[in-house]
Amino acid sequence: MNLNELVGYFKDDLFLPEIKADTKESVLEELVEPLLKNDIIKNKRVILETLKKRETLGSTGIGHGVAIPHCRTLAVSNVQLVVGHSEQGIVYKSMDGEPVHLFFLIVAPPQEKSNLYLPILGKLVEMLRDKDLRKRLQTIHDFNEFVTVFQGG
Amino acid sequence: MPKSQLELLVLYQDIQLMLYDAEEQKKMGFQVEGVEDLKIALSEMEETIQTRYIRTYERLKTRYTRPIAPVSKDVCLGCFATQPTSYKARAWSDKQIFTCENCGRILYWIH
Ligand SMILES: [Zn+2]
Repeated sequence: MNLNELVGYFKDDLFLPEIKADTKESVLEELVEPLLKNDIIKNKRVILETLKKRETLGSTGIGHGVAIPHCRTLAVSNVQLVVGHSEQGIVYKSMDGEPVHLFFLIVAPPQEKSNLYLPILGKLVEMLRDKDLRKRLQTIHDFNEFVTVFQGG
Repeated sequence: MPKSQLELLVLYQDIQLMLYDAEEQKKMGFQVEGVEDLKIALSEMEETIQTRYIRTYERLKTRYTRPIAPVSKDVCLGCFATQPTSYKARAWSDKQIFTCENCGRILYWIH
């Protein structure tokens, strides 16, 4: 998975420039909302339950202000990526206890022919190890700015 | 109700894929609890599935992510090759395990 392929999964419709939620649970709900709005899922219940279940196995808040909640679920038929940003940061029970500014929600079907779930997850983690990138992403305001910064512009 | 060898193999494949997902995530730095439980479940299943089936499965595993393929309307959904119609009845009645003549995957009939 290269950078351009990953960026291809970012969608304007699946981007939240400023998250309103202020708890871990409500953040997950807000991140799932665009999937419902765009008719990608039929209801939020199953997907939310699965995401919460995943969090009980270990927080997907990987530290340094980044969280990558993810799960496989029958609720989607293709890999989907929702990006959310919070200027002030949200308490998320992260590995380092720091508030989260950047959310990348990844959901994929259980039987996935394309096999993209893990490569997308891996590429995101790799990219977000870059301290500089994380810092620049914290101050973005809209989708285009997000993509430009993510691509190193 | 005791599960057939094929049902157990399908379950075995599911748990293996779950374990693979979890271990890959751990390598990336995610916290994932329960990995040990999956490993225990797998080794317990290895006791209940006949060795020759495990061997076939593991051999196929080197080639395919999912060594077991569903069959629909006599077509292997792993490679889309048509299977002899007689297989289905025999698979149901004798609980015999068949592999695809074309791709070698273990077959299970979904209807
Ligand atoms: Zn086949």
